[in-house]
Amino acid sequence: MTADNGTAALGTAPAAGTGVIHDLGYRHYEGARLGRAGIIWALYWHSLRSAFGIGRGAKAKIVPILMFALMCLPAIVNAIAVAQQPGQSPIVDYDTYLFRLRPLVMLIFVAAQAPELVSRDLRSHVLPLYLSRPMRRLDYPLAKFAAFTAACLLVLEIPLILLYVGNIVSAAGGSAIWAQTRALIPGMGVAALWAVLLAAIGLVLASLTGRRAYATGIIAIYLFLTWTLSSILVNIAQQGPVGPKGVPFGPNAVAPLGARLGGLISPFNVLDGVRQWLGGTNPGPIPPPGSAGPLYGLMFLVLLAACLAGLAARYRKVGAA
Amino acid sequence: MLITVTAPPQLRAGPGPGDAGTAAAVIRTDALTKRYPGDVTALAGLTVDIQPGITGLVGANGAGKSTLIKILLGLLPPTSGRAVVLGHDVAASGERIRTLTGYMPEHDCLPPDVTGTEFVTHLGRMSGLPATAAKERAADSLRHVGMYEERYRQTGTYSTGMKQRVKLAQALVGDPRLLLLDEPTIGLDPAGRRSMLDLISRIGAEFGISIVVSSHLLGEIEQICDQLVVIDGGKLLRSDTMTSFTKVSQVLLIEVDEGMAALHSELAARGLEPRRSGRGLLVRIDGDVTYDMVRDAVADLSLPLNRLEQQRRRVEELFRDNGDEEEHGDR
Repeated sequence: MTADNGTAALGTAPAAGTGVIHDLGYRHYEGARLGRAGIIWALYWHSLRSAFGIGRGAKAKIVPILMFALMCLPAIVNAIAVAQQPGQSPIVDYDTYLFRLRPLVMLIFVAAQAPELVSRDLRSHVLPLYLSRPMRRLDYPLAKFAAFTAACLLVLEIPLILLYVGNIVSAAGGSAIWAQTRALIPGMGVAALWAVLLAAIGLVLASLTGRRAYATGIIAIYLFLTWTLSSILVNIAQQGPVGPKGVPFGPNAVAPLGARLGGLISPFNVLDGVRQWLGGTNPGPIPPPGSAGPLYGLMFLVLLAACLAGLAARYRKVGAA
Repeated sequence: MLITVTAPPQLRAGPGPGDAGTAAAVIRTDALTKRYPGDVTALAGLTVDIQPGITGLVGANGAGKSTLIKILLGLLPPTSGRAVVLGHDVAASGERIRTLTGYMPEHDCLPPDVTGTEFVTHLGRMSGLPATAAKERAADSLRHVGMYEERYRQTGTYSTGMKQRVKLAQALVGDPRLLLLDEPTIGLDPAGRRSMLDLISRIGAEFGISIVVSSHLLGEIEQICDQLVVIDGGKLLRSDTMTSFTKVSQVLLIEVDEGMAALHSELAARGLEPRRSGRGLLVRIDGDVTYDMVRDAVADLSLPLNRLEQQRRRVEELFRDNGDEEEHGDR
């Protein structure tokens, strides 16, 4: 109403001079515009924030924050333990972290948050609005993948840094600090592999459906089922339980071939296989792959490539519809 | 006290985008063809020039309107033919075109759990605006479409009319030179349609933005258009300015209290091709002669003439009745 009145006043009574606030009407934008890269960067930030529920309601923050806190907990406990008993070796390793906790936390984080990034947009049919803007068809999945990888990296790496800080605070002397630093670096590398692969898996599965609950279900079932199945296969191939349930395989034991291959079907175990193949010696959920090591490396690449190709194919199709 | 006696400051008449391209067509397509897999032809050699101003893109559902809009945005490659939007070829400069063009899709596209402001701001950023500018322009755009306090509410709580306004605001946020609006009145009640059409008309007239507005309801958008493009089965049925559409659509409404059938045959005998319309008869006006013939016919039959009224026939009727004529009218 007021706007209309303002317009009318402007058009018909310019000399009123009574201090009327005029509607300035439409103003064109003369300022700078971001290029394609700037737009991708903006979408990346927007997506990274939404991976932690920032910019959404309080409810959206519960799962990501809880998972992040859970992941940090061992690092904090470790810091307290090494502080109270100086000289004690750390109770958590950098490269495996806690190999039963980490897959569980990441499973929940990825299953809950990957749909937040992509299923939502599919559900509300907002994609044509992105595509009608100065970006290319694959810029959208690119920004989403980069953002979700970064989100996973934060959840995986920050606890490692906390762990490192906790350890060096109690470390005795420079050589101990150096030893911690040397252990941290491969740990960070392993976590990066985790982030890249899990982000790709989460996004490609979430992009299949606009229904968040379905997407979460698909991701959780896939990751959990393959993880369980893989562990069962590994255990069976070991010819019965080796020691008490869940005791890690020793670093020097050579497991039967079946046990060494059993990890290939689960992304989590593939990641651990790659870690051991690349020289990680801390015990993990699967026996050292030995000669099957390159297979884990290959499987990692195949999984990653398949997920990214699937994501690209999906968005080529969605965009054209 | 300063008293201005000259003409009001021309705040809107600056070097707007409309002025630059007054002579040139905003959109130009040349034998544009789109075939989908499975031998579905959505566009069959469409050649049309769209001038600055408000253009109605009219056709039945499935006539190829949405396909045309997607090709114009550079989202779909044409099977053959060419299209140029604001001087840029769609095949080569899709990104440039999308910088200059705002698009309002037909379907619902609002995530329910964000506010109108957040939504439009984010899409402003996606249009390439820096963060501050995106905020400012989102506020401006929402104000222009008549969203005030509601814009701080989640879009899930909006009425259909508000949703359509927010969809329009997101098309406007990037300061486009051209707006492509796909069925903007769909799902609205009559009052909502009216105000949406007023809004579009105002954006076209006052903001200096060219607009292509698609609709399957010709009667609705003809009121606000400067030009009309009618497509059917992916082909151009007719493209012309509204003035030339209405020139041929002057009709005379004749109402008599009785003897309508007799008058009908009498007028037909005089070669006027009368047509029933409600309680009266419509004849096309071919100058003063028509009035004389009608007067004579009524007088000869001594019928009680109730009403004689010149009407602007709705373009819709023009297409419905003169099925074979428009093919020739197509230039």
